[in-house]
Parts: sequence; structure tokens; C-alpha cells
Amino acid sequence: MRHKRESEMLSTVSKVQPQAPQAESAAAGAVTLDQATIRFGEVTAFQDVSLDIRPGEFVSVVGPSGCGKTTILNYIAGLLPREVLSEGSIDVLGEAPTTGNPHLGYMLARDSLLPWRTALGNAEFGMEARGVAKAERRARAHELLARVGLKDFEKSYPKMLSHGMRQRVALARTFCLDAELLLMDEPYGALDAQTKFQLEELLMDLWQGSGRTVLFITHDLAEAIALGDRVVVMAPRPGRIISDIEIDLPRPRNLRALQRDTRYHELYRHVWSTLEEGFENTGEQQ
Amino acid sequence: MNPQEKRHSPWLVFSSQIIVVGGLIGIWEYIMYIGWASAALYGQPSGIWDALGYGLIETTELWQELGWTMLAVLIAFGIGAGVALIIGMLFVLFPFIEKVMEPLLAALNAMPRIALAPLLILWFGLGMGSKVAIGASLTFFIVLQSVTAGGRGVNQDHITLSQTLGLKPLESFWKITMPTAVPTVFAGLRLGLMYALLGVVAGEIIASEHGLGQRVAYLTSSFDINGVWAVVCVLSVVGMALSWSLGALENRLLRWQ
Ligand SMILES: Nc1ncnc2c1ncn2[C@@H]1O[C@H](COP(=O)(O)OP(=O)(O)OP(=O)(O)O)[C@@H](O)[C@H]1O
Ligand SMILES: [Mg+2]
Repeated sequence: MRHKRESEMLSTVSKVQPQAPQAESAAAGAVTLDQATIRFGEVTAFQDVSLDIRPGEFVSVVGPSGCGKTTILNYIAGLLPREVLSEGSIDVLGEAPTTGNPHLGYMLARDSLLPWRTALGNAEFGMEARGVAKAERRARAHELLARVGLKDFEKSYPKMLSHGMRQRVALARTFCLDAELLLMDEPYGALDAQTKFQLEELLMDLWQGSGRTVLFITHDLAEAIALGDRVVVMAPRPGRIISDIEIDLPRPRNLRALQRDTRYHELYRHVWSTLEEGFENTGEQQ
Repeated sequence: MNPQEKRHSPWLVFSSQIIVVGGLIGIWEYIMYIGWASAALYGQPSGIWDALGYGLIETTELWQELGWTMLAVLIAFGIGAGVALIIGMLFVLFPFIEKVMEPLLAALNAMPRIALAPLLILWFGLGMGSKVAIGASLTFFIVLQSVTAGGRGVNQDHITLSQTLGLKPLESFWKITMPTAVPTVFAGLRLGLMYALLGVVAGEIIASEHGLGQRVAYLTSSFDINGVWAVVCVLSVVGMALSWSLGALENRLLRWQ
């Protein structure tokens, strides 16, 4: 009974997933940065960054504070004026970035829930903003809240929910959208280790097979490797990519089993030493 | 409330309040009874009680005056708050207008507007018009300030959210800015209602045909001190009732807080 329900739920959810525009995206990556440099006046946020993200890929980005990770996301989301891109190009789904791009969902470190809306109202909010019909968005919000484990908390206001639960609502709101590209800026940065682990598993569950492209920023190497198809390592001053490491762990991944996986630990050591080299080189430059 | 604070049984609190208030009234009555102070000048609880009975039950004239005052308060509040809400929303939507109007409004607001009351009475006469004008002008500025302050307090994350979701400015205004402002606006409305009462009663005291303020002025001039106290009692009950009913509405609407 339970299984049937879940598979029904999955099929309804996968129905609402965007059909990845195959032809178009085979030519153009989901996100393409080509020798891009962004400057805010005198401050160079990052320099000469090239990155090609294929459709459906889960790319983790790690790097010390101030190396321009958030700036990359903000530019992709069209939140920054065009002029800050002083060299190179940044394309999103084959086009220049636009504000409010309907193919795109953005999730922040803080849940950014609206305190005057219930969990259900918040889960619906993204779709409401994008003009999804009322009955449809209600149904989808119910589904997604059930999937993130908040079936019994639909009527709760954010202040009554724990931090982890609020981030679950934010996940539901994000995954309710028909967005094929998801930008996540340290979404679990403020959570305790246990909650974080649960939400990582949840994210894998929601993403797996959805065909969505994810650009996931984190300070946590273990998280970057466990979730990503690739880990992009950045270094500061000026912000740049120093390494782009393929994570060849098979999918679907069981995050718990991963903790005992030797390949996972090898990759962890490798990414860690790359990150450290980045620091040392920066030290030499100064 | 501090959760560590010891919880007192509500009955204990209530009965202690009765004892304190009853004690104070008793002392007042006793002082007048033994003649330490002039009851004719300061009033006396038993006399106030009689005046209340006379005004509310025997002649019901206090009810009628209360009706006049309440009508004026509601009209003043409705006009003052209504106009302030509309103008405040325009300011939040178009900050340019606010920038232009700011010096003028700041000057008007700094002026002790109650000083204009005699002028308003001259212009609007002794009826409803003048006291409504005084009350509305007091309410207007308080509510206006609360709307602009509330509208400015939008969370940066909510702005990012609305941009990435592609909300249009007007949608963002209704779905994010206004709900953000509601708690602040409510605080302003509550204060504004009290000021409407203040303005109306002040207008009635200065010159008016009807209303509780007019009674206060009349009874004071005819040295009916107990009568004055009786009206003041009615006024404070009215003030509390107004504040309480807006508070109850607020609690219903702001359950999410
Ligand atoms: N709007 C802006 N105006 C001016 N400078 C900015 C702006 N946004 C970012 N910067 C600068 O660009 C640089 C990169 O900032 P960014 O927020 O992208 O770093 P980050 O990698 O996300 O850091 P963290 O890990 O701390 O979040 C910083 O030096 C920052 O001060
Ligand atoms: Mg950042």
C-alpha cells in the first residue's frame, strides 16, 4: 500500500519535471562560463573562470570565503548588472542571464521562507510567482511536502518549525518549480551535522532521476564529494578555479554506505590536498 | 515573557489587583471622609459612583455623549488611517514621492498640531467637523510613519527570492512588502486610534456642542468634580476597549508571529 502510494507520487512528480530541452542543450551547456571575469569597481570577484556544466549534472563548488562563489550564482540568476562581467562570457541554457529566469531555481543558506505563510503556502509560493494554476500548485505542494517528510506540518508557520524543517520547506518550494537549473548557495551551511546528513540524502532523493542540473556551493568537502558528479575547487585573490575533479562514484549513491567506501576517502584526500595547494599558492603570491 | 520567570496563578494576580485598587479607593474615600482634603475640590469615590449611576442609568446622558464621541473617533480614525495607508503605500511603491514630500511632512509632524485645534474649530464649526479634523490629523501622521517604516523593513533574502522567482514590482509589493509591514502598521493603527480619541476629546473640551469632552469642560466649570471623574472613568474604559478590540483583531490576523 505504502509502496504503491510512493511510486504514484514519484510518477506524478516526474511528470511535472521539466523535459530537458535535449537538442538545444546538447549544443549549449546548461551553464557555460568562458574566461569570465567579474569586477565590482576595483574589486575583482573572480578572474578568468571557465566552466562548462552539462545538462543534468550535479556540480559542487568549494573554495574559501571571498573567492566569488556567490557572485557566480548571482550573475547566473541575473541578480547582477551586466556590466560587472568585464571579460569573457557567461551563458545560461544557451542565453544571456536574465532576472527571474523561469528555468531557474535559487536556494539560499537561510531558508528565506515567508513567515506569514504556512509550510503549504511557502511551498506553493514559487509556483504562485511563476503563474502555476491554483489547483495544480496546491497538489504539487502537497506532494513535495510529503516527500520532504512534512506531511503533518502543512499548516505550521515557519516560526513553529525547526531549522532543518524550514530548510525542508525551502527544498519543497524549490523542487515544486519547473526549473531545470537549480542554484544552491550553501543551503545546509547553518545546519548541525545530523540534520545536514538527512537533508543531503533528501536532496539526492529529490534530484536523482529528475534530470535537473544543480550548481551546489558548499564549504563542506565531504558534502561536495558525496553529492557531486564533479567538484570544482576555487582559490581566492583573485577568485579562480584551480581544479575540476570528476567524482566517479556510482549512482544512485547511498550516503551512509559512502562513509565506508575507500574510493570516496581517496577522493576526499585528493580534493583536500588540491584545496590546500590553492591556499599555499595564494600565500606565495602575496 | 521570559520563560524562566515564575508563573503566577492568574487568580492570585487578579485578587491581588482587586485588593490594591480597592485599597487605593478606600484610602481616598477615608481621607475625604475624615476631612483631610476637600471632597468638593478633589472628588470622592462614593460621589463618583453616584455620578456614574446618575449619568449612565438615571438620565443616560453619558451614553448619549459617549455616542457622539465614539462616532467622531471612528470617523477621525477612518479618515486619518485610511488616507495615511494610501499615501504610505504610495511612498513605499514610489520612494521618489516620499523623498519629495519628506521635508514638508517632517515640518507638519514636528508642529504641535493640537495647537491648531482652535483654528480648526473656527473653520469647521462646533459640530462633528472640527473634532474629526483634529483627531484625523493626529492619527494620520502616526499611521503614515508606521507604513513607511514597515515597508522599508523587507528582508534582503525575500528580495532575492522575489527577484529570482520573477515577481513583478506590484506583485512583490502585495505579496512581500505589505505582509512584512503589517505588524508595524498594526502597532501604528493601535497608537493612531488612541490619538484619534485624544484629538476628539481635546476638540470637545475646547469647544463643542456634544461629547464626553464637552461634559468634562462643562462639569469642571460648574465645579462638579465627581461628575468630571465619572466622565474620565468612562473615557478610560472606552480607551481600553478600543485598544483591546484592535489587539484582538491583530492577534487573529497575525497568528504567524
Ligand atoms: N555587490 C557587490 N559589490 C561589491 N563587491 C562585491 C559584491 N558582491 C561580492 N563582492 C565582492 O566579491 C568578492 C567575492 O564575493 P562572494 O560573495 O562571491 O564570495 P563567496 O565565495 O561567496 O564567499 P563566502 O564563501 O564567504 O560566501 C568579495 O571580495 C566581495 O566583497
Ligand atoms: Mg557566498
